[in-house]
Amino acid sequence: MLRNFAYLDPGTGSLILQAVIGAMLGIIVFFRSFFVKIFIKVKSIFVHKKSDSKQKD
Amino acid sequence: MIVNKKTSQQLVNSATLESSFRDPSGFIFKGVDGFIYRQVNKIAAKDFDLLVKSGLYKNLVDNKLLVAHKNVNDYPLLGEAYKIIKPQQIPFISYPFEWSFSQLKDAALLTLNIQKTALSYNMALKDASAYNVQFIGGRPILIDTLSFERYQADKPWDAYRQYCQHFLASLLLMANVDLSMNQMSRIFIDGIPLELATKLLPTRVKVKPAVMMHITMHAKAQKAKAGSAKKVEAKLPKKNLLAIIDNLINVTAKLKKPVKASEWGDYYDRNNNYTEVSLKTKAELVNDFFEGLNVKTVIDIGGNNGYFSRYLNKSGIFTVCADIDPNAVEANYLLVKKHQESKMLPLLVDFTNPGGGLGWANKEREIITNRLQCDGVLALAIIHHLAISNNLPLEKIAKYLKDFGKYLVIEFVPKSDSQVKKLLATRKDIFNTYNETDFKKAFGLYYSLIKEQRIKDTERTLFLFKSR
Repeated sequence: MLRNFAYLDPGTGSLILQAVIGAMLGIIVFFRSFFVKIFIKVKSIFVHKKSDSKQKD
Repeated sequence: MIVNKKTSQQLVNSATLESSFRDPSGFIFKGVDGFIYRQVNKIAAKDFDLLVKSGLYKNLVDNKLLVAHKNVNDYPLLGEAYKIIKPQQIPFISYPFEWSFSQLKDAALLTLNIQKTALSYNMALKDASAYNVQFIGGRPILIDTLSFERYQADKPWDAYRQYCQHFLASLLLMANVDLSMNQMSRIFIDGIPLELATKLLPTRVKVKPAVMMHITMHAKAQKAKAGSAKKVEAKLPKKNLLAIIDNLINVTAKLKKPVKASEWGDYYDRNNNYTEVSLKTKAELVNDFFEGLNVKTVIDIGGNNGYFSRYLNKSGIFTVCADIDPNAVEANYLLVKKHQESKMLPLLVDFTNPGGGLGWANKEREIITNRLQCDGVLALAIIHHLAISNNLPLEKIAKYLKDFGKYLVIEFVPKSDSQVKKLLATRKDIFNTYNETDFKKAFGLYYSLIKEQRIKDTERTLFLFKSR
């Protein structure tokens, strides 16, 4: 049972559109978080190196 | 208050509010004690219980996003009834076309934030009607406890279209076409049709990706599938649904009211008739007039940005500050937000054509005098606009103002006043009875005069009337 007491007509067009834009926005969110993770990783390596070099001084 | 079963059911039926018919999950009714109650029907029992047991109810109520309620046993549960609850009472019901830009925007963001929170509790909002939001203590709050259902995996949001029609389309039109576009919701009771919004929005706005998705493509998708009887099982994974909600939150939050000088928005700043001292004197006089009358609520008609209403707030009086100018109402609401004022409700109202009496049988959305009744009415510097700009006979003004409250503090602005001279400069003076004597005579038909006093350094007089 996909719908229970939905009293609103969600509109067939609106349902299909959500599936389409949801997939698009989902991919954007995925890549954004992917790049953010990479950025954080790279940054952390960079910062570590920097602090290491500071320690050596 | 246990009443016998038969009379109780009759009472509930006869007192059911006219707006409460769309959702079979339950309905709102006025109890014998005059308070508002909600019947939860058996069909909605599981969802209602889940709302409470999941902790979502507590989260939303603690954060002042949803009205609190108490279970009551004053009414027997008959027929479809599962429970009767008494929700937190709403002192004044207002409608989206009476809100300024930021009020509508805050109501929109409230709806989306609730949906997002609900999803984290494995529930979802089943509707996104702007009429389910009201303002209490200066903040928007969801008033429909039965708007929640269990979230079903991969199910798209049933209320997506309603959100776009009730909130997004209206806000986009206000921001990009004209601030008065929210008045369209007086015609389109279920929100602005997206196809119409597409026609009205300028191209520079329609090319923005978010507007394309939620409005333009949405309108096209609706049109393409209109009349199709084929049941579509569209699947939307939860992470994608959340991505849509987040996108809607981003788009809505970024919308800005156009900056434009208004007729009344900075009235007190640039009006040469008033100095800061004379404004203060007048405000104190208004306060004195209301003092000792046990007036707890006042509707300020033509209240601009709430200057005089705030003086009443300081005396503990709650004010509904209504004005015709969207910029003045916006300025007032932003002050309410900034200072977290809880005794002011700014509203956009044209008293020569107030909104209400809309929907099914003209009763679904009530007339303004049923919704905004107060103990007192304040009508400063408005009489000449009603009587001269709108050609209203003084008797008609007196008769209508009486419907808003028992006490009336009203300022009479004579023809010798510079503001009235301006109104008469470009037209023939057909207003032979527009003078203080005839004013007192006209208002005397409906009110008893209690007090009158000339306002210092002006030709204007302040009157205190009590309705008969």
